[in-house]
Amino acid sequence: MTNPANVSGKVLINRSPVLDAFMAESSVAPVATGRMGRRRSRPAPGTAQKREEETDAYGRRAVELSAFYQGKIETVPKVPVRSLDDFALWYTPGVAEVSRAIHAHPDLSFSLTGRWNTVAIVTDGSRVLGLGDIGPRAALPVMEGKALLFKFLGGVDAIPIPIQVSSPDQFIATVEALAPAFGGINLEDIASPKCFGILEGLSKRLSIPVWHDDQLGTAAATVAGLLNALELTHRSVEEVRTVLLGAGAANLVTARLLLALGHDPHRLTLVDQRGVLHAERDDVDELMVRNPWKYRLALRTNGGGRSGDLAHALDGADVLLAASTPDPDTVKPAYVRSMAPDPIVFALANPVPEIWPDVARSAGAAIVATGRSDFPNQVNNSLVFPAVFRGVLDARARAIPDEVVLVAARELAAGTKRRGLTPHHLLPTMEESEVFPEVAAAVGDAAVRLGIARTKLSHEEFLDRARTLMGRSAKLVRALARARLTPPMPRVARRGGRRR
Amino acid sequence: MSATGDGSARPGTSASPEGPGMSIHLRPARDADVPVLVPLLLRLKRLNEEFDPLLKVRDDADEQARQVLHANLADPKAIVLAAEGVGADKDRVVGFVRAVVRERPFYVPEHEGVILDIYLLPLYRRRGVGEYLLREISAALKAKGAGVVTAEFPAQNEIASRFYAKRGFRPITAIHARSL
Ligand SMILES: CC(C)(COP(=O)(O)OP(=O)(O)OC[C@H]1O[C@@H](n2cnc3c(N)ncnc32)[C@H](O)[C@@H]1OP(=O)(O)O)[C@@H](O)C(=O)NCCC(=O)NCCS
Repeated sequence: MTNPANVSGKVLINRSPVLDAFMAESSVAPVATGRMGRRRSRPAPGTAQKREEETDAYGRRAVELSAFYQGKIETVPKVPVRSLDDFALWYTPGVAEVSRAIHAHPDLSFSLTGRWNTVAIVTDGSRVLGLGDIGPRAALPVMEGKALLFKFLGGVDAIPIPIQVSSPDQFIATVEALAPAFGGINLEDIASPKCFGILEGLSKRLSIPVWHDDQLGTAAATVAGLLNALELTHRSVEEVRTVLLGAGAANLVTARLLLALGHDPHRLTLVDQRGVLHAERDDVDELMVRNPWKYRLALRTNGGGRSGDLAHALDGADVLLAASTPDPDTVKPAYVRSMAPDPIVFALANPVPEIWPDVARSAGAAIVATGRSDFPNQVNNSLVFPAVFRGVLDARARAIPDEVVLVAARELAAGTKRRGLTPHHLLPTMEESEVFPEVAAAVGDAAVRLGIARTKLSHEEFLDRARTLMGRSAKLVRALARARLTPPMPRVARRGGRRR
Repeated sequence: MSATGDGSARPGTSASPEGPGMSIHLRPARDADVPVLVPLLLRLKRLNEEFDPLLKVRDDADEQARQVLHANLADPKAIVLAAEGVGADKDRVVGFVRAVVRERPFYVPEHEGVILDIYLLPLYRRRGVGEYLLREISAALKAKGAGVVTAEFPAQNEIASRFYAKRGFRPITAIHARSL
């Protein structure tokens, strides 16, 4: 094995027989994929096949790069070490006094150590991306990627911690035991509905913020986009009729947030694979036992007593928020045509939306959003979690209540508006990075206002800190590359280069 | 699991408990109610299925439910009360409670009122209606000579445990099972 840190720019993939065999089995040859995230022209439905090939190519390249870099993050000293003598300060004997101070005042752990800026990314690997229950080991690359995003976008030190547990209670106990080292907990890729109980349980037990991106991040981004879509079409959340398609982690929380914003529960309808969710559906008692979060919404929502399928639900609705199955035939154009004038359609399934944006627009949709970066209006967790964590960590907050999540959503919407709201610009793109420190500062302010902040900074102070810390990582990455401490990306292996 | 309470109806029983826009009307069930009681009874049995594989509902449970209910309605030792909604649900049966009086050959009190089923449609839950049903069936069982009231439900149904515990019931006998 070659340590990538010693390699300067040479194409040198660390290969093993096991990895070679795995690569040989995957059917698609390596293809140069160019830069990630570049804007492609709006594809027609027929190009789905091409995009699948492209995804495969990304996958192959990712395996090669993972073999080369062997991990995406590492720990780096943040103090000077002029000589070994300095360890008398960073370590014994000097450090003992720091420990005594924290022992006397536990909250000093937030200012005398890196705790204030360190979060744990915890998963049991039970629902990783679209891959399902692949377990904690296989979840690790995803958690490393998330840690990289945390650092790069939010300036947050995030530690990937996939854990092997056999029950939600054991999950909660394990994270509770880890909490003393962390300023926040980010739950990741945990199956629904157990993710609800785990988030609730940990939020109750811990006095640091706990977040589950698949619930809160997606819901906050959705709500932010919706607020702007409503503004553009001159409607308010109190008066619209909304259909949520899919009743998983994201949409159950989106529903909860909409109700908190004053959405009329009777004008909110959830639809899942079994059709409209309502209080007398056959499986409602099963839900009471297995998914009380969904059960509660079944009782509260759908006032007209609608039943039946998605088509029934959408008839006359103003808004569709779909977070369901990646199949472009899920929402038929006729359904969109049956909606109220100027319908708003969010088709958020990845990688393939429930209806292609151009199809939705031809069917009359006034505003369309998806989960993808190659269409306008990407509803994306990354618009939310780095800023929310920046804000709560800078406030040394004790929790992230829904009020804070809503503040983040509102500020994300407002930030977009300040930069020009159009049907194609409901949400900032990742490039409009000025918005994110503003969201962080609004989150910090909210934590102070709600009395859950350990550190009470002013708005300007929060904003300043957020700008500095969120901008720092890009500089760090550039500096490491310039110094050749991060080896440059190896060139793409050629097709013939594979072992035959 | 079976649980027990003192079997006495509290004084001042109200005819229909008021919730926010919610009340019910309780009356003895009739043969004509059987077609609407069957689906409610089956909902309860399917809920029980959630708690244990040995409570898997039979394919012919539908027909069984019909026969059992008709038999109960003809049996002086059985009581079936139907809960009707009011307002938009007026005259619609939204829940029921079913119980029988059993003899206890070895113990005193000598007669036990056993609540076999108690079920309310979800929108009628957690507004005190269940408590009202319990009070009324207890009174009716007492009138038929029961000195103790018990309730049978799946051991894992913690919601039912809590519901009965709050009303002074405690576990007295346990039924343990294994497949053969
Ligand atoms: C059991 C049942 C008849 C109780 O009727 P009810 O009108 O809800 O009862 P009440 O309003 O008088 O009392 C409610 C209490 O029951 C318990 N309870 C009922 N539903 C519950 C739920 N979904 N989750 C947790 N506890 C619940 C609680 O202890 C509750 O008290 P709380 O509201 O103060 O927390 C009704 O909930 C029902 O039909 N449930 C489904 C069927 C069932 O489990 N039957 C019992 C087994 S035979």
